[in-house]
Amino acid sequence: MISIENLSKEYGQKKALDAINITFEKGKVYGIVGENGAGKTTLFRCIAGIENYSGQIISDFDKLKDFLGLLPTEPFFFSKITGKEYIRLLANARRVKLGSIEAKNIFDLPLNQYAATYSTGMKKKLALTAILLQKNEVFILDEPFNGVDIQSNLLITELIKKLKTLQKTIIITSHIFATLSATCDEIFLLKAGKIDKNLARDEFSHLEATMKDITIGNRIEQLGLK
Amino acid sequence: MSLLLMKEYFLLQQKMLHRKLLDVGIPLWAAYAIVPIAFVLLSYYLFFKTEFAAYIYVFTALSFVAELSEPKRNDFLKSMFGSSDYAIVRMLENLFLSFPFLLFLAYKGLFLFVLVLGLLAIFMALFNFNTNTNFTIPTPFGKKPFEFAVGFRKTFFVFPIAYFFTIMSIYAGNFNLGIFSMIFIALICLFYYSNPENKYYIWNFSTTPKMFLFEKIKICFAYFTLLSLPILVLLPIFFFENTLILFGFFFLCQIYLTTIILAKYAAYPYEINFLQGILLAISLMFPPTLIGIIPFFYTKSVKNLKPILND
Repeated sequence: MISIENLSKEYGQKKALDAINITFEKGKVYGIVGENGAGKTTLFRCIAGIENYSGQIISDFDKLKDFLGLLPTEPFFFSKITGKEYIRLLANARRVKLGSIEAKNIFDLPLNQYAATYSTGMKKKLALTAILLQKNEVFILDEPFNGVDIQSNLLITELIKKLKTLQKTIIITSHIFATLSATCDEIFLLKAGKIDKNLARDEFSHLEATMKDITIGNRIEQLGLK
Repeated sequence: MSLLLMKEYFLLQQKMLHRKLLDVGIPLWAAYAIVPIAFVLLSYYLFFKTEFAAYIYVFTALSFVAELSEPKRNDFLKSMFGSSDYAIVRMLENLFLSFPFLLFLAYKGLFLFVLVLGLLAIFMALFNFNTNTNFTIPTPFGKKPFEFAVGFRKTFFVFPIAYFFTIMSIYAGNFNLGIFSMIFIALICLFYYSNPENKYYIWNFSTTPKMFLFEKIKICFAYFTLLSLPILVLLPIFFFENTLILFGFFFLCQIYLTTIILAKYAAYPYEINFLQGILLAISLMFPPTLIGIIPFFYTKSVKNLKPILND
């Protein structure tokens, strides 16, 4: 369980997160949605302990970060590191002994090639594979479906469901409603650093309409297109 | 040729250089007054210390020049200038960068080196070092990524040169050249630790700052030993009486590698700055100062790593 209490984060005068209160339970999948700059990535960075913040983040773990797999929006790779070495580096960092990495290459990635030469989707899949093999208890997946092909999209959806059955906590962001409604138990709508709405599973059917209402409003009319 | 565009480009380069200097804490007046003096003093020191100074000098100049051959940068320049203007701009850039080295070599009367460096600088302007090749250079360092695995792939071509120096030292009966070949490898390895990595790569470690640093130093020790092994095995066979000196230099190299690791994290998340640079330069000139410099860097490193490792 991760309990976030009155979490706030400021960058100079700008309030990126404003008194966030959320609880993430074991064995559940949570979605965080919101427009660009709403504070999703900042929230993730605070949970991961990469950013300083005010408020409290309490968890069942002594040091949450050591049990947390973080998939960044745009994973960073060194120019001359192979896919296999990247996976090994992240496993070594958590003292996880890996057997044959090839046998665990579920996305059929060219692991002996330099990761920097991968396409956007392949990079995402590599970074996801690496954090899955770290044997984490909590997963924060920032846009896990970005740039990945339809087959991998299905595979990632099933992976998230599998992690849920294994009693892991999963927090994801996505701009694709279908993937969120297929995987999440609860979705939080973040707006200007605040939790604007939280929706339970039975309310998901209204999610797209709610999002449209909140984020689109009459903005298109403002353009005065004719 | 669009001279105006070229002028704008070089002025922009100057502006960027000024920003970089200010970022690492060097005031511009100091950069223009002290850096040339420091360059001349270091050059004098190098030529005073070793008979291979000219080689080190050319190599150092070319490593700076090689930094400008990054493919993405040059693709951008090609799209901005026409192909002939691009070649001129790149040659000028390389010559500007080599200029202080060329000047000092000329002052020393080493005109052959001036010619070689000048020609190589021009030649290097004509092609990109493509880092995005699909061919993966094999490395013995893949088990414990990333510094040596990445660094080796970028500099693999210098190791045959270093081992060639070792063989030459045996043929010529010149033990100093053998020592130089090992120092040469250590200098290459120092570069592996010159840039700070993305925070994500540190954050992932479930360890304390102390253990993190210890692990980095341990891997560096093991892999530098592996790269120096041919030298450590061959030289004692042919220069048995100098074995102690050889291992003395080997451990000194290891100490400097440890220092650079600690300096890197002492500056983290920024690049090694003016202060660390000065301390490193002092330690190179007066090795006993390492007794104070190493603990200083270590303390700063631990302090910088604590929040990232949530310790």
